[in-house]
Amino acid sequence: MRNILITGVSRGLGLEIVKSILEEEDTVVYGISRSKSQGLVNLMDQYPFRLKWMSYDLNDVDHVRARIFKDFIGIQTPIHGFVNNAAVAYDDIVTNLNYEPLLDMYKVNVFTPMFVTKYVIRHFLLHQVKGSIVHVSSISVHTGYKGLAMYASSKGALEAFSKNTAREWGEKGIRSNILVAGFMETDMSATLTEDQKNRIYKRTSMKTPTTTKSVAATIRFLLSDLSRSITGQNVYVDSGTI
Amino acid sequence: MERLLQIVNTILENRGKNIVDDINPDTNLRNDLGFDSLDLAELTVRIEAEYDVDIFEDGVVMTIGDITKKIM
Ligand SMILES: NC(=O)c1ccc[n+]([C@@H]2O[C@H](COP(=O)([O-])OP(=O)(O)OC[C@H]3O[C@@H](n4cnc5c(N)ncnc54)[C@H](OP(=O)(O)O)[C@@H]3O)[C@@H](O)[C@H]2O)c1
Repeated sequence: MRNILITGVSRGLGLEIVKSILEEEDTVVYGISRSKSQGLVNLMDQYPFRLKWMSYDLNDVDHVRARIFKDFIGIQTPIHGFVNNAAVAYDDIVTNLNYEPLLDMYKVNVFTPMFVTKYVIRHFLLHQVKGSIVHVSSISVHTGYKGLAMYASSKGALEAFSKNTAREWGEKGIRSNILVAGFMETDMSATLTEDQKNRIYKRTSMKTPTTTKSVAATIRFLLSDLSRSITGQNVYVDSGTI
Repeated sequence: MERLLQIVNTILENRGKNIVDDINPDTNLRNDLGFDSLDLAELTVRIEAEYDVDIFEDGVVMTIGDITKKIM
């Protein structure tokens, strides 16, 4: 069995990643989010033994080892992959920047995921697993959109973290990659107006939103052994942003 | 000490290095056992799994004696 830890599984892209990964019969998913959505409950009914879920607020940087790795997964259970998908977007123009929401976003998007990575790598070492880590980033890091400077900065931090993790742990066969996603129709982008969305889609070759299916399938590939020689990369799934 | 020796040898074996017959409190992890930072990380993890102590969390660990002080 291959055990995969995924954050932000209650909706949007996270739910789609879980679906995609569970299609492979030798996988078990350990999913984390604060709430359990109907979509997640349905999947848990469909896969009672292969989908495990725990509520954890990624704002909590301090209990990653105790709650996620000891209580939920268990030290004796090997992990083979980690998908850092959960995130929040603090969206505002830079001149309105406030420390509290900035810190909250960084905890969820960057600090706690860095600690999860710490313990995931420790788990890989303990069980001698050549594991795969995938962080979900955003095309806003590379193109720039008004109002997304703070959010994009948190994703840029992950990209640098991933690159250096790949370099540091490559000789143990441990890999780390970034999935750079384009704009997808999920709750996160639901606050955008049609006009804003259309302007964003116009900046892609395909003039369409990025599908969560395509992003999820690519993440599944990056977790699998088929991508054995890919590490330290940014993989763009973004309808061809121009 | 016996269990610690097993852990040390597991790490040496995983690295394809020669195992050792014994260790003592003065055995230096880097100089005597040839551990690099990644080996030390694996050592931390194996000790943590066994004794629930993160030996590198506070301060420097140079010798086997430094470890036994933390897990006893
Ligand atoms: N949507 C886009 O256009 C877009 C574009 C590029 C990149 N991305 C990235 O894609 C990833 C998925 O985004 P999405 O669009 O699927 O977003 P979403 O629909 O808002 O879902 C976010 C997920 O993260 C979880 N989450 C949020 N805060 C959390 C916390 N404090 N603790 C635990 N879980 C938390 C949510 O679960 P609970 O609320 O139940 O906790 C939810 O499952 C994110 O990394 C995002 O930055 C999105």
